[in-house]
Amino acid sequence: MENIEQKNEMTAQQSLNIISEMINESRRTILQSSAKHFMLWGSLLIVVSLVIYWLWQYSGSPVWNVVWFVMPALGFPMVRILERKESDIPQSKINMNIGLIWLTYCIFAVCISVIAMLWISMNITLILVVLVGFAEAISGFLLKNWAITISGFIIGIGGAVMASLLAAGAEQLLIFTVCGIMLVITGLIIKSQYK
Amino acid sequence: MHSELRLAVMSILAGVEDADFSYLKKQTGATSGNLSVQIDKLSAAGYISVEKGFKGKVPCTTCKITSAGLTAFENYVNSLKEYLI
Repeated sequence: MENIEQKNEMTAQQSLNIISEMINESRRTILQSSAKHFMLWGSLLIVVSLVIYWLWQYSGSPVWNVVWFVMPALGFPMVRILERKESDIPQSKINMNIGLIWLTYCIFAVCISVIAMLWISMNITLILVVLVGFAEAISGFLLKNWAITISGFIIGIGGAVMASLLAAGAEQLLIFTVCGIMLVITGLIIKSQYK
Repeated sequence: MHSELRLAVMSILAGVEDADFSYLKKQTGATSGNLSVQIDKLSAAGYISVEKGFKGKVPCTTCKITSAGLTAFENYVNSLKEYLI
């Protein structure tokens, strides 16, 4: 980028150009940072779902679903490390709202999982996959990024259909693996769009 | 606000919670000295607040747009739009 030095004579058009250039540049930097978050959580989802799938298949017991709780325990410290590395990138109002959406998702996911495991039996996969899709689609709307919005709808609607069609069992976990892959792809799309 | 660098700083700060000096320098491509001078001017006008602190052991200057600054920026953009339309 060319250096911006102090100039006192600017036309209205030049002023608007500077404003839009700065806003776009700032948006690009912030979106690049959000791409890393999508890739981080997506990768974690792939690994954890495959580990639980393997353990469930190997032992024949669904008790291994408790390993899901490792995900926030690993993910949040990793996010902290990521944020520390990018400490100069400011928090935009959009990023803060997206953070709140996903935090809300985590609270829902943990509470529903605990209730389903200890109290009322329900199709957790269907509920959680719809919530992931919902959170991702809203993130896409906020970021004004169609790739994220569309993949949110695919995850939510496609995941709900798959969760209903597949028999209750370890296979349901593969839906989360696909969700993880979609999140990683979303991150890669954002990264390539805002290089 | 009618200077390229001051306008650039205000445009960035209008969209974020706050931003530190190194981020503003990177985004605007300005020199440290020039950026410092313009930040002081914006701060003196009451358009931004400047907080000096530390990130770990490294000194850090954080800038945040004030409500007066946001109003001034909105008025400025509206005036530009009216002028161009």
